Amino acid sequence: MTALRDATPALRTPDPKPVKKSRFRRDRSLLLMVIPAVLLLIVFNYVPMFGTATAFQRYSIYAGFWHSPWSGLETFRQLFSDPYFWSALGNTLELSLIQLIFYFPIPIALALLLHSIMSTKVRTIVQSVVYLPHFFSWVLAVTIFQQMLGGAGALNQFLRQHDLGTFDVMTNPDTFALLVTSQVIWKEAGWGIIVFLAALAAIDTQLYEAAAADGAGRWRRLWHITLPGIRGVIVLMLVLRLGNVLTVGFEQMLIQRGAVGRDAAEVLDTYAYYYGVVNANFSLGAAASLFKGVLSLLFLLAANKIAHLLGEDGLYRR
Amino acid sequence: MKLDRRQLLALTGLGAASTVLAACGDAKTSSGPGTTTQDQLTKLLPAYAPNELVKADIPSVNGANGFFSNPAFLKYPANPVTTVNGVPGKGGSYTTMTPLWGAIPSASGNAYYAEVNKVLGATLKLQPADGSNYDKVLPTLFAGDKLSDWVQIPSWNMGNLGFADAVNKFADLGPYLSGDAIKAYPNLAAIPTSAWQCCIWNGKLFGLPVYYSGATIAGTLFHRKDILAKEGINPDDIKTPADLAELGKQLTSAAAGRWAFDDVFDSLGQIYKFPVDPNRWVIDEGGKIIHRYETPGILEALEWYQTQAKAGHVHPDALADKKEDAKQRFWSGKVVVTGDGPGAWKGDDAKSGKAANPSYDRQAFKLLSTDGKPQIWMNPSAGMYSFLNAKLSADQIKECLSIANYLAAPYGSKEYLTVNFGVEGTDYTMVDGNPVLTERGSKEVATTYQFLITPISPTTVIAGQTQVVKDYAAWEADMVKYAAKPAFYGMNVTEPAQYASINQPMVDLVKDIRYGRKPISAYQEGLKTWKAQGGDQLRAFYEDIRSKYGTGQ
Repeated sequence: MTALRDATPALRTPDPKPVKKSRFRRDRSLLLMVIPAVLLLIVFNYVPMFGTATAFQRYSIYAGFWHSPWSGLETFRQLFSDPYFWSALGNTLELSLIQLIFYFPIPIALALLLHSIMSTKVRTIVQSVVYLPHFFSWVLAVTIFQQMLGGAGALNQFLRQHDLGTFDVMTNPDTFALLVTSQVIWKEAGWGIIVFLAALAAIDTQLYEAAAADGAGRWRRLWHITLPGIRGVIVLMLVLRLGNVLTVGFEQMLIQRGAVGRDAAEVLDTYAYYYGVVNANFSLGAAASLFKGVLSLLFLLAANKIAHLLGEDGLYRR
Repeated sequence: MKLDRRQLLALTGLGAASTVLAACGDAKTSSGPGTTTQDQLTKLLPAYAPNELVKADIPSVNGANGFFSNPAFLKYPANPVTTVNGVPGKGGSYTTMTPLWGAIPSASGNAYYAEVNKVLGATLKLQPADGSNYDKVLPTLFAGDKLSDWVQIPSWNMGNLGFADAVNKFADLGPYLSGDAIKAYPNLAAIPTSAWQCCIWNGKLFGLPVYYSGATIAGTLFHRKDILAKEGINPDDIKTPADLAELGKQLTSAAAGRWAFDDVFDSLGQIYKFPVDPNRWVIDEGGKIIHRYETPGILEALEWYQTQAKAGHVHPDALADKKEDAKQRFWSGKVVVTGDGPGAWKGDDAKSGKAANPSYDRQAFKLLSTDGKPQIWMNPSAGMYSFLNAKLSADQIKECLSIANYLAAPYGSKEYLTVNFGVEGTDYTMVDGNPVLTERGSKEVATTYQFLITPISPTTVIAGQTQVVKDYAAWEADMVKYAAKPAFYGMNVTEPAQYASINQPMVDLVKDIRYGRKPISAYQEGLKTWKAQGGDQLRAFYEDIRSKYGTGQ
């Protein structure tokens, strides 16, 4: 990465005027290719942002945006005085933290393991097997867990038939955080390794050869070549993860909320869904979502700042 | 429109609110409580002219409080009668939206759709939508003003729509149907008054009733009679909740993969006397209006259920809130007692159950009670209604009503066969005197046209299962003896929108307690919050309704 940065000093020249025009000419086709994606963003991400106006209205679906009466910060007062909202925020942060600690390192470790496998055949097989769960919907994933680990699932029926004690992790609110984290690991860890594998592939193999020639063992090569080589990507992924810290899987929570109860499974997204959509209090849902959006942005910027202080690129180069 | 609304507001004593309305211009934030006075009702209700074509094999039985069981038929008449002369449509084209619980049929190459549209002489472009998520779709359609020409809305999806406001988007059918005007549509005139009464909001007739009957219930307790028989249990001996609890012990054999109960909580409402949706309020012995959550019965029911859950008598998947697989659990005998709607007890259910186990026999318990005096609160006669878009012209409305007249043709008619079964030989064949869907038919014929309007529900043979009809008719004839009207029966009261979300914490709390995650003692705390957040104001709202409109009982 450092080598890449030094090799393209032109990008960093603080002399925009003459460069701007020629850069535009040079990047013309690239910019053209980006247009559809930008349009998509505008239509589906930016235009709907006007909907956040409902957070400041007493929104009625019959009056619409234009005729619903304004209510100032009333909805936010209602939101912040609701103990269920704070408990949803608490759950969100708790689940996020647990997933950060237990989930985040797993794709990296998996990628390192896979990278060290020499046989491409074994590698392809393992890769396919760990990718697969990503393509299951959450409904299916939770059903599989229910059928394996549920109170009437395969494991408990086996224990029952052998007169052993049973345990139902699917309906236990106390262990719910661990349950959802293991579900995320099972479903998404395989998919998560793709980025890291790409980063590993970009490391110059000559470095390994040189280090091996100098007598560096497996661990030293990992520590001094592999990890520094993918550090930038790890930090980038960490920054992105922190920006998403308030998103812990809407569907996964929604499907299992009834099984463990609100106290354990209500997160900001399900709160906005139940109080906003299900009970048709759209203003409250919009306020909860806006709060989440603003907080997420702050998390993202803070994480990016820290990345810069550590000398990494983060989301963009300074 | 505006004048009418103001008159109505004055009438409902909400004169103060009308000034707010005037100030907001088009901001229709409230159209009042939705309900209608008795005098207005009398003027609005269409005349009633029954047209029973065929004599029922098992006639309707009159029960308590004017409720009656459905007539039951064991064989379709060999020579169906024609009730509609000529072609009802004038070549118009209309979009429709109806909920559907099940696979949505393909519209292209659908012989059933083609045939019904042909006989109607109009094109109904059917857009069935997933019934389970219908309540999430409707608000967006209202907000975006993208409603179809003909829309069906179930009563249980109306609560959060603020329906007194929503109906302004639909055509007032009063001028076409009130009083003797309805006689232009004989099949509509055969719809009983109790069903039309559910179709009135804000003093106007808006809806067409769908699947109504003389005794509509939310659901009841079912059991596997074949399994009970094997265990030597006579279902008629089960009369009290204590008897039912006893079954928990007798029928559960977890190691063998069998549990006594599925999620039967809502069915306990009938036994412990707390109302279930769409009924929410009752009037206690002292005359006080109390919500379902304030009834002593709901606490007893929670205690009963929690005891069973903790004792391991409830299927673990039911305790994991997996409602969607409840029917499979019952069919496969993994649970013996379950709660379900009356619609679950039909021929197609027997067919599915027997596929899993040939001795499958679903029966309902006779009504249970705590004190030997069973009672069951009725739902409004019709649970679903369809509406015509206010944007349609008078001629278009008349065409749609003629089409409705065709779709509402009674059992025993030629039209009923076409609307419900499609083309003979392609979609259905007659087996032992009853229409049975072919393989193609079961893919093409879904409840689509029927969700726009129906004749009064008959109990009929489905999938050749004659015994089910006999059993259901006998059970229903017994059930109607205990039928009662809950408070505000069939009055279409629209609760103010700001109270919509106060119930969510209670819904969650009730689940926490019944599944055993929280102690019973946690209930009172939650109830206190509910009252403070608006429960008490809501009661005052209903006190006001009672003083102005009565209780509908």
